[in-house]
Amino acid sequence: MLKIESLTVAYGSKTVLHNISFDVQPGEIVALIGPNGAGKSTLIRAISGVIPIKSGDIFSNGENLANLTTQERAKILSVVPQARQLGGAFSVEQAVMMGRTPYLNWLGKESDADKAAVKLVLQQTSLEKFAERPIAQLSGGEQQRVLLARALAQSTPILLLDEPTNHLDLQHQTNLLSIVKRLAKEKNLTVLVAMHDLNLVSFFADKVALLADGNMQSIGTPQEVIRAEHISAVYQTPVEIINHPLTGAPIIFPQGVLGKGEG
Amino acid sequence: MEAQYSFFLDIEPYLNPMLRKRPFALNLSLLLISFLFSIALGAVFIPPQTILRILAAQLPGFNIMPDWSNSFAAIILAIRLPHTILVALTGAALASSGAAYQGLFRNPLADPYLIGVASGAGLGAVFAMSIHWPNNMLGFYLVPIGAFIGAILTVVLVYNLARVNGLVPLTTLILAGVAVGAFASALTSYLMLRSDLQLHRAISFLLGGSPMTGWNPVKAALPYMVIGMGLLSLSGHMLNVLQFGEEEAKQMGLSVNWAKIFIIIVASLTTAVAVAFSGVIGFIGLVVPHMIRIIWGPDYRRLIPLSILGGASALLMADMLARILLAPSSLPVGIVTALAGAPFFLWILRRAKREVFW
Repeated sequence: MLKIESLTVAYGSKTVLHNISFDVQPGEIVALIGPNGAGKSTLIRAISGVIPIKSGDIFSNGENLANLTTQERAKILSVVPQARQLGGAFSVEQAVMMGRTPYLNWLGKESDADKAAVKLVLQQTSLEKFAERPIAQLSGGEQQRVLLARALAQSTPILLLDEPTNHLDLQHQTNLLSIVKRLAKEKNLTVLVAMHDLNLVSFFADKVALLADGNMQSIGTPQEVIRAEHISAVYQTPVEIINHPLTGAPIIFPQGVLGKGEG
Repeated sequence: MEAQYSFFLDIEPYLNPMLRKRPFALNLSLLLISFLFSIALGAVFIPPQTILRILAAQLPGFNIMPDWSNSFAAIILAIRLPHTILVALTGAALASSGAAYQGLFRNPLADPYLIGVASGAGLGAVFAMSIHWPNNMLGFYLVPIGAFIGAILTVVLVYNLARVNGLVPLTTLILAGVAVGAFASALTSYLMLRSDLQLHRAISFLLGGSPMTGWNPVKAALPYMVIGMGLLSLSGHMLNVLQFGEEEAKQMGLSVNWAKIFIIIVASLTTAVAVAFSGVIGFIGLVVPHMIRIIWGPDYRRLIPLSILGGASALLMADMLARILLAPSSLPVGIVTALAGAPFFLWILRRAKREVFW
């Protein structure tokens, strides 16, 4: 499990995350939501160890990540970065094999176990048929599955995703998220995902953490957090929320869209 | 968007599958042929089979009756063999360090010459020569150390000048490289003009890109080259992972800062030794890794060793041209590589403009 305690992050004198505490249980998917600049990506990057933290601690199963080397951390925690156009002539298989870096020696000689792990991950993400293709030739949605596969190849108990479905169409969004959800349950993964689309969040996540200006506003089930008063205040847009007739998941309508204005 | 350029995917389908299958065998054969012809060519042509017999006769355990003239053996052993070895080592060093700089900067136009490192190494080498002229072995061993210091200072300076938001874009890299390289070359010329005649001649050779003669440079270069290229060959996996950007490389478990420092030091050492004894030779470090990438793919674990073999062959061929074109006198090999490499550079630039970025 992932436990964040009193995490504070600053860029120079500007504090961007204030005293954040929460935890994510194994098998649980927690979605980080909040307006642009709320600190979602900063939080993901701070947990992954690529930006320094000012104070606070991050634990995985009681172990403080600050005490681990880069390599040891990469065996506990993997990251799916934001969707972007990938170039380069590496094949899908080569790119996914690079997820095995924490298990390889510095020469990068891969063992049979590494090859088996990559093969399994390619199956789980339905990428087998692209294995030999250069990643630059894949569509945006397929490329994002490659980045997911690369993170899964790290075989970590904790998976962080930083707005993984931005710029993807509906089919590829749901495809990627359903793979993550299935694996999270099957392999008991601890998943923290920064997301923008609140309606996707309410269907996908077990819990939702709402960030605003670097502060944790509330955390709980989608029904508890995605409520008109929370969302309207944090996003500074009046919204109306109805619940899905079958699942009860909250669905958001900005009032501007419904013609009620801000008035 | 990060500024990484993808490499010429569209050429791949036209390649002969036979050519793709055995990269090491093919490059090794090419190197052996170039090596033999480099020794054969000159004012007198010495047939390859005679060369092989003369070389074999030097090895213990071969009992070969000499059926060649003594002057052939003298020409080969005293002049052409050391020259050929030095040229091959220089080409190997420039191509492999070029490949490493391209991977490190994630930029297809990084070349020891274009990013100013070669000029910085030249300045360091000349500075070392002006302190202690290499008239003994100690002097010969000091020149590459001076070149190494010059190269490291240049690469760190260019890297920091070119860096924008954690990335090294093509334009700033080349501009910073040209500016710093020009500054280093100007300082080198200044040192040359205020020096005595012996140094003056040495430096003008260095600036034109002409390998030194005799066995001493080979002996002095060899240990540094073996270490430098050996370590470069081992850094392929680190370079592969770095292609996803420093942040993701770290998330994948690579100690990014150590990897960068390691690669900068080793690539600069390799470049510096080449420059110290062969002068400033451009474009080999650009052209060779690109050709190899087009044919055998982007995996740096193969790209670097293949660049070592390919770079040696390419510079040997350029050097043969340099000796043939104006025979009996010879051109500095740097002129031949520039004549062939500059159009190639422009071709890559044109392609890079319309390639997809990371």
